[in-house]
Amino acid sequence: MAAIRSSSALLLGAAASRPALRTAVTSSTAAAVRGMAQVADAAQQTATSSEKPRLKTFQVYRWNPDKPTEKPRMQSYTLDLNKTGPMVLDALLRIKNELDPTLTFRRSCREGICGSCAMNINGTNTLACLCRIPKEDNSDVKIYPLPHTYVIKDLVPDLTHFYKQYKSIKPYLQRDTPAPDGKEYRQSKEDRKKLDGLYECILCACCSTSCPSYWWNSEEYLGPAILLQSYRWLADSRDERKAERKAALNNSMSLYRCHTILNCTRTCPKGLNPGLAIAQIKKELAF
Amino acid sequence: MASIARSSLLRQVASASRVSMATRPALQQSVLARAATFHTTSKRELLPPLPQRIKGTVNDAVPVPEPSPAQGSYHWTFDRLVAAGLVPLTVAPFAAGSLNPTLDAILCAGILIHSHSGFQQIIIDYVPKYRTPTARKLFMWGLNAATVVVGLALYEFETTDVGLTEAIKRIWTA
Repeated sequence: MAAIRSSSALLLGAAASRPALRTAVTSSTAAAVRGMAQVADAAQQTATSSEKPRLKTFQVYRWNPDKPTEKPRMQSYTLDLNKTGPMVLDALLRIKNELDPTLTFRRSCREGICGSCAMNINGTNTLACLCRIPKEDNSDVKIYPLPHTYVIKDLVPDLTHFYKQYKSIKPYLQRDTPAPDGKEYRQSKEDRKKLDGLYECILCACCSTSCPSYWWNSEEYLGPAILLQSYRWLADSRDERKAERKAALNNSMSLYRCHTILNCTRTCPKGLNPGLAIAQIKKELAF
Repeated sequence: MASIARSSLLRQVASASRVSMATRPALQQSVLARAATFHTTSKRELLPPLPQRIKGTVNDAVPVPEPSPAQGSYHWTFDRLVAAGLVPLTVAPFAAGSLNPTLDAILCAGILIHSHSGFQQIIIDYVPKYRTPTARKLFMWGLNAATVVVGLALYEFETTDVGLTEAIKRIWTA
């Protein structure tokens, strides 16, 4: 894909080859196809000779559980950005495919919908698939696992506790009364609108692992991601267990360790606002 | 919390190097030395993170604590009310230009309560109960004692001296 993109860009970029393309298009079909190929070849040749490789070094956190006596280290990989896709995940995939197959990281959808590739890139928790490789300067890209997590290997953090906490808020619709017409539970457009900005959360744990309160007290404090999900069910007009949900948060640790630091909102790769959701929960709980 | 694994590793590396320092080849030693310099954080860890412990199976939810509004929502609301109330109380004596002892007393009480609950939050954050229950108790009672002492001092200051507002006024112009 990247190769096609770069060659087509080169095709457009090579001004000298444009008249040739135009004449080829005006001639017969077969000639046009051949002409295109020739132009592309010519463009490729001129490009490879003139364009110099844009090298970028990626420093990646490495730790191997099979060799527990070895301390974690940073390993550098240098890639030519001309041959790499635009995102950090493209670079990581290329490192794994071409340079070092032992590099370990989670990835799945490569379009920011699964939340697997959450990691700390240049000091910010984000999804590698949504983070562009910074091209304006030559500084190294530093890639760490999510901060303050137990590392399983390289860039893979252990999110067991995070998911256990997610389970504790009962993230599903709880109802006792059946729908009046026996069909699905209906909701007005206004009520549905309350869930916008909440349901999009993909539980990538970027926000929770950027929260200092969660760093210190992750055993008991639920953290921004889980509290955002908690509010998603509190705000749902179809849910009938609001009192229980609120009571579960009404203690000194679960919710009130949030001190509105707002690292969560700043780091969220999906552009959501967990800080606001937590503030809404606090408002609903107040008196 | 990757540092837990690291600290235990460090110990293993240290003991290993003690055992076979003489037999270890020089190259390997230098590698270890370089690895040791990788970390710039201080070794004087007050409360190093514990090794990971998963309670129950991975499919069990984390236990939900008992609801206690006195430490939760009521506490939070009270905190906000005190904090919001302190703003007009701080401005009032200077805006009005009068030195009402009652107002002064309310301001002193407000500041005392506000700082008490502020320090309480700090202790809850940094002296975790599940980790250091004794230290937590100690800190909390220390805070209570400090609040009582400061309260007595403010009472003395208010009743026998010029009072808080007047004192600030004098310091300000001095």
